[in-house]
Amino acid sequence: MGIVNFIIDNILTQASVTIALIAMLGLILQKKSFGQVLSGSLKTMLGFMVLSAGSSIIVGSLTYFGEIFTEGFQMQGIVPSIEAINGQAMNELGLGRDIALTSLAIFVFNILIARFTKWKYIFLTGQAILWMATMTTVFGYVAGLRGLALILTGGFIGGVFAVAMPAIAQPFVRKITGSDDIALGHFCTIGYVFEAGVAKVFGEKGENKKSVEDLELPAQFEFLQDTYLSLMVVMTPLYIITAAFAGEGFASTLSGDTHYLMFAFLQSIQFVVGVYVLLSGVRLLLGEIVPAFRGIAMRLVPNAKPTLDCPVLFPYSPNAVIVGFITTTIGCVIAMFVLPVFGLAMILPGMLTAFFAGGTAGIFGNVVGGLRGAVVGGVAHGFFITLLPALLVTVFNSMGFVNATATDVDTVAAALLYAWLIGPLLKAF
Amino acid sequence: MFGFGKKKEKKPKPEVKEESVVLTAERKEKLTQTISQKRASLEQSAGDEQAKIHEEIGLALFELGEDDQAIDSFEKSIELKKSVGDGYKTLLKLYNRKRAEAAKAKDEKALQVYLNKMDHMMQVSKDVTRGVR
Repeated sequence: MGIVNFIIDNILTQASVTIALIAMLGLILQKKSFGQVLSGSLKTMLGFMVLSAGSSIIVGSLTYFGEIFTEGFQMQGIVPSIEAINGQAMNELGLGRDIALTSLAIFVFNILIARFTKWKYIFLTGQAILWMATMTTVFGYVAGLRGLALILTGGFIGGVFAVAMPAIAQPFVRKITGSDDIALGHFCTIGYVFEAGVAKVFGEKGENKKSVEDLELPAQFEFLQDTYLSLMVVMTPLYIITAAFAGEGFASTLSGDTHYLMFAFLQSIQFVVGVYVLLSGVRLLLGEIVPAFRGIAMRLVPNAKPTLDCPVLFPYSPNAVIVGFITTTIGCVIAMFVLPVFGLAMILPGMLTAFFAGGTAGIFGNVVGGLRGAVVGGVAHGFFITLLPALLVTVFNSMGFVNATATDVDTVAAALLYAWLIGPLLKAF
Repeated sequence: MFGFGKKKEKKPKPEVKEESVVLTAERKEKLTQTISQKRASLEQSAGDEQAKIHEEIGLALFELGEDDQAIDSFEKSIELKKSVGDGYKTLLKLYNRKRAEAAKAKDEKALQVYLNKMDHMMQVSKDVTRGVR
């Protein structure tokens, strides 16, 4: 009995072990050899540890940024980064095990829904499921759920989103691609449909509709070629300008012997390093689990419609991606200045979200309302995807998250579902 | 709103629209001819041009219903130069078809192969859109 208790209390409580065991289960179900099961499980565990290391780096940098921002601008400046939220939730808050189990539960619910209803969507983007599990776990925890109830509720809600989001996007995807065999699996879909709605109201209609694709646009953004480079392009000026506003007197107290602006520069790079390490961890973590469970899903639901990440739509409307990126960025910047006026936190723009979510939203705007639809819809989309995460900031702060908020709007919507509906209901009964 | 109403009406019968266009003998002849001509011109070309020719061969093979050979040509084309034209779209469609067949046949290995290939296609699309060579 002593041994069993020791295992339960000291080993199974470790998130890295739980995650490795999930991978092990997947690999055993796939009938892999003993060696493959062992190496796969260990790699997954390693992935979790790498993710934790990345998170510590990010937290270090964001703590510094939070201090100089508050000093410089007398308000809170929040960095939108789902990676930072995931890392902090899994480590600093100790929700790693619950998040891992919730990811598994989302997967199971996704398969069940696809198997037994007419919505045959199987969500193939592993990273997105991890982000969703993070948000349902954090906000479920805030709502007062614990243990199995936390995991099953998160699994159910995440599973419903995994099927519902591709389903609501599908009428548009059919129109964009001209076929029905591929679906979109990206947890920014509510934003896309929002942009489509705005484009419908304000865009061009019928024969007057001028597609963005008829225009000649310069097609490339060199600074976006590398994920980490494009992060740096935003973070470095942001840190340096903020440090300058905070002033030498204050910023020097944080920078030790280093010049305070140089220190800000190095800290901004440190943030990028943290994201780099964290995402390498995520890749290692999911590298074994995702193929295993994708294989299982496809066998259990042989007529499944696979949902792919947002670049699946880019080839159908490359100009709209550019217009979407630019207009969404404009919308984000407007929201950045407008939201504090209404007492919300200042959400700094995230280049990568603006590119992927903005680009895809641009395609939706264009297909519904042509060029005008894409432009007006894009700006509205940028505002929308900044507003929703801003609504979460108070909860994140109260839980002890350091200066970050989530990005992908569907995960934010799931979080708001907890905050506005499930939480109050639980408290009422 | 958002055209959901329309979707519901169509829902009961999601018509499976496969390319069941019957090729005329003439068209077949023409395609076969095009393929051999293009294949011959491959040797005199290089780089981007070669990628384009592989793509065109792939499209002709696809029309002939030679899926495996078409995949082979498209893969060669993308390996030479990443692009997201008709070749890309057709290749993704073919991968997805192969994936569905593998899933029906419960062929785990082939299933993983095509799922990974589809992942790779997402990377190609990202790279082309961002201008990575």
